[in-house]
Amino acid sequence: MITSTIQPPPSDGDMVGLHARGPLLTAFGLAIGWLVASGVFSLIAAIQLHSAAFLADCEYLTHGRVRALAETSFVYGWAGGAGISAVVLILSRLGGNPLRAANWFGAGSVFWNLGIAAGLVGIATGDMTSFSLLQLPRYVQPLMVFASAAMGIAGLLAWSGRRRDGTFASHWYGVAGLVLLPWALTAAQVSLLWFPMRGVLQAVAAAWYTEAVIFLWLTPLSLACACYLAAKLVGRALPSYEAAPLAFWMLIVVGTWSAGRHLVGGPVPAWIPTMAVFSFSMLLYHFAVVGLNLRPVFGLSGSVGSALKFGVGSYLLYGAVAFLACFRGIALRTQFTHFASATEQLFLYGSVSMILFAALYFLVPQLLGRGWSSPALMSGHLAGATIGVVLSVVALGWAGISQGAVMLEPKTGFGEIASGVRPYLLVNTGAQLVLLASNLLLAVNFLRSLCSCCQGSGVSTALSEGSAS
Amino acid sequence: MSSNMDSNPGRGVAGASDDSLQAEHEKLLGKQPDEKGHYRLLPLNLLFLLSAFIMFSGTYLGRFSGYFHPKVYNEYGLPPKPGADSAAAAVDPIALGKNVYAQVCAACHQPNGAGLPPAFPPLAGSEWVSGSEDRLIRILLHGLQGPIKVNGVDYVGVMPAVGPGSGYNLNPEKVAAALTYIRKEWAGIDTPVSAAKVAEIRGKDGTRQPVTVAELEKLP
Repeated sequence: MITSTIQPPPSDGDMVGLHARGPLLTAFGLAIGWLVASGVFSLIAAIQLHSAAFLADCEYLTHGRVRALAETSFVYGWAGGAGISAVVLILSRLGGNPLRAANWFGAGSVFWNLGIAAGLVGIATGDMTSFSLLQLPRYVQPLMVFASAAMGIAGLLAWSGRRRDGTFASHWYGVAGLVLLPWALTAAQVSLLWFPMRGVLQAVAAAWYTEAVIFLWLTPLSLACACYLAAKLVGRALPSYEAAPLAFWMLIVVGTWSAGRHLVGGPVPAWIPTMAVFSFSMLLYHFAVVGLNLRPVFGLSGSVGSALKFGVGSYLLYGAVAFLACFRGIALRTQFTHFASATEQLFLYGSVSMILFAALYFLVPQLLGRGWSSPALMSGHLAGATIGVVLSVVALGWAGISQGAVMLEPKTGFGEIASGVRPYLLVNTGAQLVLLASNLLLAVNFLRSLCSCCQGSGVSTALSEGSAS
Repeated sequence: MSSNMDSNPGRGVAGASDDSLQAEHEKLLGKQPDEKGHYRLLPLNLLFLLSAFIMFSGTYLGRFSGYFHPKVYNEYGLPPKPGADSAAAAVDPIALGKNVYAQVCAACHQPNGAGLPPAFPPLAGSEWVSGSEDRLIRILLHGLQGPIKVNGVDYVGVMPAVGPGSGYNLNPEKVAAALTYIRKEWAGIDTPVSAAKVAEIRGKDGTRQPVTVAELEKLP
């Protein structure tokens, strides 16, 4: 391990600078809040799938709206908020300098969360758009662009002002995730909400944005965390690292061309779904190299190691499942069934969330200057999240496959199909309950750690513990 | 792993500082000062893997591209031949006419063509329907005003124009189709009314006031 550098490496504790702790911890806390909120919405939506009358009289919580509320608070509130904050922190640590433009980050984070709050009220009162993953009402969309750009500026400055000349994989993925979201969000809202394109193009643009959220935003953010955590926790260089740059560029350049996989069988020219298979089989190279690079995490133990292991494993599994579901013969059976929800859950919860959980558990102690207040709550949360994700993905996936098979038989009535998947949906409701409960443990643990930090002499402990490590 | 490590995982492995982590990875990417910017080659097995993916995806794209044609929706489909559109667009005038009749005419003349005395004369068995094509075209294009005697009964009403530029704005093809349907259904005439003739009369007369029976009777 090379330690001979020009300047002695600064100790881990003072690198971020005390001025950045407030905004970062606030951003993490708000993201956890959105995670809990989205758990409540997901639970309501899951119950409504098998008991349609549940809250059906409440205009604000009808199924379409509550699903949009769950998705938006999860993707933008939790995954986006925590992902951007974690990446900014990691970029600052890799840069080796105190975080610059922390006030930009803080202001951006405040407006980001205000935008989500206003957007959720808008969705509940009927102002949502009709595009998946872009459901925030039109009037908060520009705010989201500026807020995410403002948060990203801190990360970009940490990257451009880094001490070392070279870059690490977390740099590439992190900067890509920070830069590409404002661009993709602008492109999507201009072409879908402000000056809507007409006809089939609208569906193509909406599918492109879905792919951009997955492959240009959430994947880079979570892989930036995963590469950093893997290198830190394993303590060795990532294996097959020389292949990593091409895998990164493959993701960025080819990733969104797979948008056509959402349009299989739709009224689009045949080459668009074919292009999805083309680009997804190129993406397999990306998935293969990520698997090779991150394979040491599968030897890790401990709470953070297990969460990271689960997250990376889910990401690889998602790649395989989504690749197969691109093909027309398979999409015929899986599209528009619960299988699609299962793959989405596998990516958003199994992969992105679990990696972000690991990142939170790893990074927050560095901000607090002390460990989490309760290791028991931590392992309880991760165990609950693992069980919940596995249960809901398996139940929904199974429901989708059986549903897809009977939906192709014209003689089977709709009621029969709906009652056939009911047991799986009940399991899914149970899984959502477990997820909500385990995420409450995370929230409690976070608040307790925050309070115990504030009560003690937080500042001095932070510095002394930081330099001790 | 110790419980202390578990509650504060942020310390990571001793020795894996952010700086050494980067130094070690930079070494792997071949950016060392003595290497003069040479690129490391991809390992052979990954190169084979990448080639396999490129070959598979290229073959798939070539096979199922639908010739990248905007009107091919099926991956096995062939692009349409030029000129094939006009042949496919030929529409049965009776079907079109029935459609137009149901939408426009049937409100007054009734779906069975019996009309509604005393304002709306019948079409079924009417000597006007079985009579001059020129007169019928003008009634539809310009509308009809004033009394009209059908089957010996006097009707007084106003028939609005339905042709191009009127409130209904039917194009010559639809006017011709409606007349073809009416004549076939209630007068047994198989000869279709041609859209070209409707367009010609419309071009000659232009937009004008509704015709009267007296005017029509001057026509052949």
